[in-house]
Amino acid sequence: MKKHLLQFIAAVMAFAFLALPASAQKGTYAITNAEVVTVSGSVISNGTVVVRDGLIEAVGSSVSIPADAKVIDAKGHKVYPGFFDTNTKLGLPSASPPTRNASGSRSGSISNYPPSLRAESDVLEKFEGTEAKFSSHRNAGFTTVVVGNSTGIFNGNSVVLNLAGENVSEMVVKAPFAHNIAFKTERGGVYPASLMGTFSAMRQMFHDAKRLDEIRKMYASNPKGIKRPEADATLDALIPVVRGEIPVVIFADTEREIIRALNITKEFNLKTIIAGARESGSLAEKLKAHNISVLLSVDFPMRKLAENKEADPEPLRTLRLRVEAPKAAAALKNAGVPFAFQSGGMKNIKDFVKNAAVATENGLSKEDAIGAMTISAAKILGVDAQLGSIEKGKIANLVVASGDILDKDSSITHVFVDGKLFEQPKKKKKPAKADGDGEAKEINAGGVWNVTVEPPGMSIPMTFNLTQSGDTITGTISSNMLGSATIRNGEVTEDGFAFDVTVTFQGTDLDLNVTGIINGDEVEGTVDTAQGPATFSGKRDPKN
Amino acid sequence: MNKAIRSTVLFALVLSFAAIGVAQRTSGDVLIRNATVMTASSGTKTNTDVLISNGKIARIGKNLKAGNAKEIDATGKYVIPGIIDAHSHAMLDAVNEFTYAVTSMARIRDVLDPTDVTIYRALAGGVTAANLMHGSANPIGGQNTVVKFRYGRSADEMVFEKAPPGIKFAMGENVKRARNIPGVPRRYPASRMGTLEVMRDAFVRAKDYKKSWDNYRAGKTRVPPKKSEELDPIVEILEGKRLVHAHGYRSDEHLNLMRLADEFGFKISTLQHGLEAYKIAPEIKKYGAGVSIFVDFWGYKMEAYDTIPYNAYILWKNGVVVSINSDSGERIRRLNLDAAKTMKYGGVPEQEALKMITLNAAIQLGVDKYTGSIDVGKDADIGIWSGHPFSVYSHAEMTLVDGEVFFDRSKDIAMRKELEEERKRLEAMEPNLPPAKRGKKKKPEAKSEEKAKTPKREAGGVQ
Repeated sequence: MKKHLLQFIAAVMAFAFLALPASAQKGTYAITNAEVVTVSGSVISNGTVVVRDGLIEAVGSSVSIPADAKVIDAKGHKVYPGFFDTNTKLGLPSASPPTRNASGSRSGSISNYPPSLRAESDVLEKFEGTEAKFSSHRNAGFTTVVVGNSTGIFNGNSVVLNLAGENVSEMVVKAPFAHNIAFKTERGGVYPASLMGTFSAMRQMFHDAKRLDEIRKMYASNPKGIKRPEADATLDALIPVVRGEIPVVIFADTEREIIRALNITKEFNLKTIIAGARESGSLAEKLKAHNISVLLSVDFPMRKLAENKEADPEPLRTLRLRVEAPKAAAALKNAGVPFAFQSGGMKNIKDFVKNAAVATENGLSKEDAIGAMTISAAKILGVDAQLGSIEKGKIANLVVASGDILDKDSSITHVFVDGKLFEQPKKKKKPAKADGDGEAKEINAGGVWNVTVEPPGMSIPMTFNLTQSGDTITGTISSNMLGSATIRNGEVTEDGFAFDVTVTFQGTDLDLNVTGIINGDEVEGTVDTAQGPATFSGKRDPKN
Repeated sequence: MNKAIRSTVLFALVLSFAAIGVAQRTSGDVLIRNATVMTASSGTKTNTDVLISNGKIARIGKNLKAGNAKEIDATGKYVIPGIIDAHSHAMLDAVNEFTYAVTSMARIRDVLDPTDVTIYRALAGGVTAANLMHGSANPIGGQNTVVKFRYGRSADEMVFEKAPPGIKFAMGENVKRARNIPGVPRRYPASRMGTLEVMRDAFVRAKDYKKSWDNYRAGKTRVPPKKSEELDPIVEILEGKRLVHAHGYRSDEHLNLMRLADEFGFKISTLQHGLEAYKIAPEIKKYGAGVSIFVDFWGYKMEAYDTIPYNAYILWKNGVVVSINSDSGERIRRLNLDAAKTMKYGGVPEQEALKMITLNAAIQLGVDKYTGSIDVGKDADIGIWSGHPFSVYSHAEMTLVDGEVFFDRSKDIAMRKELEEERKRLEAMEPNLPPAKRGKKKKPEAKSEEKAKTPKREAGGVQ
């Protein structure tokens, strides 16, 4: 255990050092001869942007360059406001499956709720990392992010951070921004274990928070004759939500999830922003009527399964939805729904801007696509007074690109966050390759993996005992409920492993198709069955 | 392959691709011309027209004037009320909240999936409405929702708003064995005794809860009591505002439950399944509950052995309101044949058999004022059948909900080619290509097969 942990820490540290840009520095800069896409005003074709002490000191076509400024000649380049990713889990520990005996209080908090309902969860308490850790986001042009959890139902607050700073205090732009709600269930057989229970639990807690608020006020005005209200950190955290003082970000992708979000919004008069919103295009008018903003995921759905002649054809509906998803942005725009883009958990952050470009191929104007990464995002987050456009006095978050950022041949040359320049790592010449991003990593899939498989409403502990030999995986799986079985067609994939296995459940053979994505000693993935998919997650047993 | 089988398979296949938005906006004005109308309330009328205006049945008679209504020639065809399934778990994203023994706070209304293809298949079987229920894992389960199958619309637009609220109760094996997960302590109750105790306890708590609110409203207390999502629906049961649909198999359990209801002064609306109900038909009649059954499905677990296909007949003969439900996405497509079987086993009269899948279900769900039979003033929930609905050779040709066509067999057949073409077009588009084939549009396909040897499991994004 210790040895592995040390190796892991060493690897993380090595990575952090590598990622640390050689030239992150604050100072006075003048970006000259650039086409400045101010976003708030018109494009300045041959402009200068002066950066001093973290702010934009001047911008325009006839700006004098201060004597102390380091000049960046950006001839032929474009300058954009720094981009926003309005939904990330940056800096948050990867979610481990909550333990079964979930009730009981967490240190420093008074609460009797299971993990998925811990509304008091404070994202800044969990956040770890400094600017060095977030270079991949920053190198892709993202200077401001929203960090928040969405693994449970009430996920606590989210915050707006700038991706520069040696500690979190330097990074915070706005805290809290919103409360994150997702339509998930509690694991391990604890209420709420079904989607129905999720809504009932939310309702009950909203009612309880309102009541607590009311009783607190009564007690404050005159405590005599009233039993003192209970201390309840979880409900306290929901009071600003039911008062409408803090927005809620509700994660909802499908039409019906979005409608459920609208219904709960109406029932409790919430200040709602929808996140994800894959199928929001067809509901644009409705969202407008409800005065809802959207944090639209650009992780557009793509077919993930390899070709298989023997498989049933995919449902027509699925095929349609994949084609429709990139059209949602244009539909929202046309209906007048405020929206911003977000990465939606995409694997490679470089796909963000690429997919924003895909949205422009599906009806969105380039201007609006840039807006959805800059000023529109800033407005939804309530930070447009200081961020989101290139204006005098605003925070110097800037992206310099060799051309139109939505053009796939352009590349980012400089990124400023809080006036700090992060030069782009010089790209190594990749060997010419027809496809793939050429960043294939070494996969180590061998070992004993203790995982929890979660079909709807259930939680099944399982063990994968895998042996890797080259690109081939052999081994067994075992579980109390399903017995043990030998795997077939095991192989190493780009980011993990895949295998097939047949288990016997109540006398019936079940074919499972298991796909796992490995991240160090952690794994998550899906188990596909004829009855539908289930997710799983777990860890490598350090003893083996 | 036999031609009939082949066409059935094809039909089923196409249904599985079924399109969104097949409903034609008729504005609910339709004249069905010259049909054999099985009213389910006042006999069968031959060569009869049914005029639908604004989604309601406006007139039934001969040689009616169409006016602005869309005319449908039903010569040689049968018109029956839309079939109502009194017990279904179609279009649900969740069925059981199994954690607690009492989950009355759970609402089916929150988890409706309006895209479930089961709806379209049910429409193809002439079904227009269903009672969507929580599962049977708890003595007191979640709140059910009655829907009309307005396929293609949102969940909100499918809810049968006029239906009174209801709730699921359950007894017997499903309750006893619920949440039997390895490594997790078993949930109470694990016996039939415990099941009744849990119910009794819930009603005692609900009465106390109501009293605390009554005191507060009367100004006797200053601090408002906690609002309980769990107990509010149980108070509604006590107040007679919420219908109880009680899952159970054994006759002793039905009797116990009716006694418990009497003890607390509430009413069981329907006994669901009631495989042994024939044993206590007079007692059920006296109590006044309805029974919703399978016609000839049994033996799938210990408590489900002791039934007979004459169950429906005996209950009917004793004056009990009987409906036949599907409880299944498959049986829901052929409830007409289940009704027909009651004529074979015992000889239920034709109209009474039809009522078991229409009007009686409507009565049990409290919506018989609005649907369930072909009567002037009721919602135009109607099936037009190719022949007598109790014949295995007949099929629903058109299914109307509120006078709007939500299934049209001829349209469906015509649409198949179109859908196949759409599928081909969509499958060739970037997001629908297998990962190994993406981003290679402009290159010759020649050598890509070899490269695709190790399939990429994840989307690489647009390249």
